[in-house]
Amino acid sequence: MASANRRAIVCFTALTLLGFLFIYLTLNSGSVEISWADLGWRHVPYDNMKQQIFWEIRFPRMVAAILSGIALAVSGLSLQTLFRNPLAGPFVLGISSGASFGVALSLLAGLSFGHFGVLGSAAVGALAVTALVMWVSSRFERSSILLIVGLLVGYFIDALVSILIANSDAEALRVYVSWGMGSFGRLTFDGVLIFAGAIALGLVMIVLSLKYLNAVRLGDDFARGLGVNVRRGRLLVLLGASLLAAASTAYCGPVAFVGIAVPHLAFMLFKTSNHRVLLPGSALCGIVLCLAASLFSTVPLNAILSIVGVPIILWVIIRGKGEH
Amino acid sequence: MSLLKFTDLCFGYGANFAQPASFELNAGEVVALMGRNGSGKSTLLKTLCGKVSAMNGTVEIAGKNLKDWNAVELAKKIAYISISKAAPERMTVREFVSLGRMPYSGIFDGRSAEDNKIVGESIELLQLTEYADRMVSTLSDGERSRVYLAEAVAQQVNVLLLDEPNAFLDIPWSHQLFRTLRQLSAERNMGIIVSTHSLEYASQYCDRFMIVDNKNLNVGTLAEAQEKGWLEWTK
Repeated sequence: MASANRRAIVCFTALTLLGFLFIYLTLNSGSVEISWADLGWRHVPYDNMKQQIFWEIRFPRMVAAILSGIALAVSGLSLQTLFRNPLAGPFVLGISSGASFGVALSLLAGLSFGHFGVLGSAAVGALAVTALVMWVSSRFERSSILLIVGLLVGYFIDALVSILIANSDAEALRVYVSWGMGSFGRLTFDGVLIFAGAIALGLVMIVLSLKYLNAVRLGDDFARGLGVNVRRGRLLVLLGASLLAAASTAYCGPVAFVGIAVPHLAFMLFKTSNHRVLLPGSALCGIVLCLAASLFSTVPLNAILSIVGVPIILWVIIRGKGEH
Repeated sequence: MSLLKFTDLCFGYGANFAQPASFELNAGEVVALMGRNGSGKSTLLKTLCGKVSAMNGTVEIAGKNLKDWNAVELAKKIAYISISKAAPERMTVREFVSLGRMPYSGIFDGRSAEDNKIVGESIELLQLTEYADRMVSTLSDGERSRVYLAEAVAQQVNVLLLDEPNAFLDIPWSHQLFRTLRQLSAERNMGIIVSTHSLEYASQYCDRFMIVDNKNLNVGTLAEAQEKGWLEWTK
């Protein structure tokens, strides 16, 4: 037990230091060199261009990478635990497809979702799918049914999106494809608070379900035998994980792989299934991975994340025999 | 007051497995639950801990109707163990046994020093100390059976319901398991109902027999069971 605690302390410390290093690099990456002396607290109008670049571009990009890293990693871990499926992730419930549909309606069909524009459309689409999946979940006890429903909803919505794509003009299609590649550079300073608020709400729901997450790996019946309210736990995890993934998808595009790969990475590092350790561990891994990816501003986000994510998943599958 | 009591109980899924029956489990006794495959042994155990609703009749735990128990408090009184063939993933023995302390933990599922001490004692009792930091999935079926039992011991319940715990155990470990059950019932005043297909272990280690046969649920000592022909089906 002492060695497990030591391992956790070492991993948390290393990841936190790595996180700060990448924050520093993210804030300093770009063609314009900005020294700390140039900066003050944000006040609009800006005194100079460097302040504007920092507060309107680099700071929101760093926040987007951190929040998205937390959201996707925690969401992925929670869903993998809930479904007892190591390849489950935020996308498995069709949330990403829902967000894509919302964006497609906005960009390709010209339907508007209020002053939040494309981001609001993605959120509305994602949450609509979540509501549908939750409605189904209230009628079935077995988690595997949810998994199937999530996949089916995803396929259905992807079909609708493909129809919209087939009937759209070239410019609208270009914008839509650009959104689909994912980016941390789309968040504005004004959006930071809303994004952070949504992530905080999702995290609260997940943290309130810690006991459920720790017990449900052994099945719903086992969890009930330990006094866990399975129905409430599952709904909270589903809603929390969906909100986290929806917010990330809305603000940063359908970012792939973080949700699937990071929980495996966290387990490899922390060697525990205790979510008291694994949740913050996954969040830190997500932050580090997303901050690292944000440094490659010229490469599409999904491309760089997939280049990192695919080998990790392959490694997990090939090596999985001993630990699965 | 009996640890567990059922009155005029009908159990099953849609159709009764047996005629209405009554029973009381006392502290310090081990009862063998026997019957053919499909006779409803598992369903009865699940009915007794509330995983399956009773079709009729009442089940009481420590004098209180099962339906009136809060889930967390009930988890401190009764544990149902079914050793599944599928091993839990990515979990060490200590982590698994530590799950037994969940009913005593707060909303963030932390473990106190006292919890850790009880987990350590449970691991020791089931002779799992050398496996404590190994993944459960790497253990043999027999070792895993003991891990499940250690988890229930850590839960510090009064009533243990075990569903064929020696199904995957070899002969020496089966004897060891039943000796441990006797030890738990004697030292911790537990009441234990254990389903098994082994008449030998049941005769040697259990105080009473509960037999589901031909739509009847009969309870008695080995002598009574033999005298009344309740064990004829085993021949």
